[in-house]
Amino acid sequence: MASRMTRIRGLIWLLPALVLLGVFVYYPIVENVRLSFYSWNAFSPKPVFVGFDNYATAANDPIFWRSLRNNIAYAVVSLVFQVGCSLCLAAVLEEFVHQRLRGILRVIYFIPAVISITVAGILFSFIYNPQFGLLNRLLGVVGLEQWQHSWLGERSTAIWSIIGMSQWQSIGYTAVLFVVAIQRIPRELYEAARVDGAGAVRQFFSVTIPMVREMTTLLIILTVSGAFLVFNEVMVMTAGGPSDSSQVLGTWLYRNAFLADDMGYASAIATVIFVLTFGFAILQIMIGRRRRVEM
Amino acid sequence: MSTRSRITALIAVSAAGALAACGAPGTAAKTTASANLTSSAATKSGTLTIVTKFADPKYAPYFEKVAADYESANSGVKVDLQQVGDQPYKDKIRVLSASKQLPDIYFSWAGDFANKFVRAGLAADLTSVVGPDTEWGKSFSPAALKAFEYDAKSYGVPINLDAKYMAYNTAIFSKVGVAKPASLEDLITACGKFKSAGYTPIAFGNQYGWPAIHYITQLNAMDVQQATRDADYNPATGAFTDAGYTAALDQFKQISEACFDSGSNGLSHETAQANFLSGKAAMHFLESVEFSVLTAKGGAPAEIADNWDFFRLPPTASAAGDKGALTGAPDGFMVNSGSKNAALAVDFLKFMTSKANGAEMTKSIGWLSSVQGTATAENSFPQLEAALKDISSANSFAIWLDTVTNADVANAYLSGVQGILDGSQSPADVMKSVQDAAAKAKKSVS
Repeated sequence: MASRMTRIRGLIWLLPALVLLGVFVYYPIVENVRLSFYSWNAFSPKPVFVGFDNYATAANDPIFWRSLRNNIAYAVVSLVFQVGCSLCLAAVLEEFVHQRLRGILRVIYFIPAVISITVAGILFSFIYNPQFGLLNRLLGVVGLEQWQHSWLGERSTAIWSIIGMSQWQSIGYTAVLFVVAIQRIPRELYEAARVDGAGAVRQFFSVTIPMVREMTTLLIILTVSGAFLVFNEVMVMTAGGPSDSSQVLGTWLYRNAFLADDMGYASAIATVIFVLTFGFAILQIMIGRRRRVEM
Repeated sequence: MSTRSRITALIAVSAAGALAACGAPGTAAKTTASANLTSSAATKSGTLTIVTKFADPKYAPYFEKVAADYESANSGVKVDLQQVGDQPYKDKIRVLSASKQLPDIYFSWAGDFANKFVRAGLAADLTSVVGPDTEWGKSFSPAALKAFEYDAKSYGVPINLDAKYMAYNTAIFSKVGVAKPASLEDLITACGKFKSAGYTPIAFGNQYGWPAIHYITQLNAMDVQQATRDADYNPATGAFTDAGYTAALDQFKQISEACFDSGSNGLSHETAQANFLSGKAAMHFLESVEFSVLTAKGGAPAEIADNWDFFRLPPTASAAGDKGALTGAPDGFMVNSGSKNAALAVDFLKFMTSKANGAEMTKSIGWLSSVQGTATAENSFPQLEAALKDISSANSFAIWLDTVTNADVANAYLSGVQGILDGSQSPADVMKSVQDAAAKAKKSVS
């Protein structure tokens, strides 16, 4: 009887959170999926059921596929820099840098993460400016004029320029998270490795990487899902241009929903983004659980 | 990407879902304008809701002052004025439309943007109060009033006049020995001379696409007959098969090659404007509402403020369209057809477009009012007065291509002209995309 009362009391305490989750997370997801089967917009008096037409439109839309490719490129580069490089950076900071300098460097690396994305976007728009931008001037000074570009104005460079800015902003943030994870590793493990004759590189691969696996899993999920949800960086710097070359799924969704008045198609794109990020998160969590290291 | 931006992106992605929830299929009901639009002392009470896109600190105070003045003149009325930026307005008004929460008065661009509200039954028919034959209607510039007509009915109240002109630095023109060009061929020849003299011929930044669209708007008007354009700009009949459209894009390509700096897709309009203001460029294509930035009061250096004039983008000698058309359109306000305060809304708009408030608009923010006789030597400057005269002499307004056409067509043009600028697309490629978009628009409208 008492345990039943405890269970009921527990459910009552959970209820507000469940209601909030239901109303603001799960209901919009379900509703979004349903609406992706309609042709409708903010002005349409009679939405029309079109079945899978919006998904067929996506399959035949070259800009949808370009957006998806850009998201994948974003994810791959982000994984390399925000997970791979930031783990190396964190390990170097913890192992080789003097205690005093370590704190200063951590702050320096972290500063870009606290800058508003709008400010960072505008800052990099100046850096990439083809006429007076720092990057082109730097290339000119070192005799690499042939590498100068209108970085945000050329189809071949626009998305990579945005991705570059994003790495600058986020690498410090993920490095600090890795630093925290590394600090939690018992020092005895390193000492034991040293006794066994392991050098710094061997310790990194045999102790650090296995022991920060949970943080790595978490950051991989966040980085990949973040790469598929990217929106602000692109909107601020190119709005998807030139000629839609830097569109990502988020901005293509936005353009269709709020500029092209095709909410049904936008809902279909939102569903695709949800399926991709949700599927990846599930997969990653399953893999992460299987390899968990118990301390 | 930071956690904050992830959360923001997540919100953006789920916005469609949230909006979807607001406008669930089957719940939308077409409303008609049947409200009484004539105000009386009895109707002058309550709260009037207004949403504008004039959050820019340069312009917002004028609208706040009009609202405050109206409240002072009508003690029973409270004006709930919400002002957002240009881009956020496009999102906000759609969310409000889908959720049937439109304010009593809302901003609109002329063209298909306004027509969407009309077709959805969300805009009140104002013909009886502001039609061209009414006393209030006669106070406006006829071309401005016509810009908000749909099926021969008036649905909007124009508040300003805006047109696109080529501003030029008279000192640079004199120094290089170039006269004001009379044709597009002259302009292109002049560009060569400016380049040889070390100047950027035309300061141009096309980061977001619309500056190029303004060129195309003018060139289309000059190269394609009005009747053909009217049919093509209507999503139900658009085909874009006239050869004049390709000719217009060809001309734009010639202008870009002869007159613009390379990499213009990577420059913002404001950066280009700064080049003109710093005396590095001979010309700059800008709107008359931007004229004030070229004045000393607007912060321009004396070398520019004292040495500029303007001309219309000239046509080619063989242009087959309306050579007297002028790119531009008024901005305006519409009244919610479902508003319980429709009469009060009309009364407020009458107040806003009084001669005194029109003159104040010109004086305080440098815009030409759509109300006739409001720009004088006292409240404006010579170029603005000259612009008003020129606008009055225009055969017709060529409304911005990205607001007059269906959004798919506009997007095809926006994307295509960026491709022309970076050399990845030819005019023929762009027209193929535009024709495909027009076919899609026709299908969706039907």
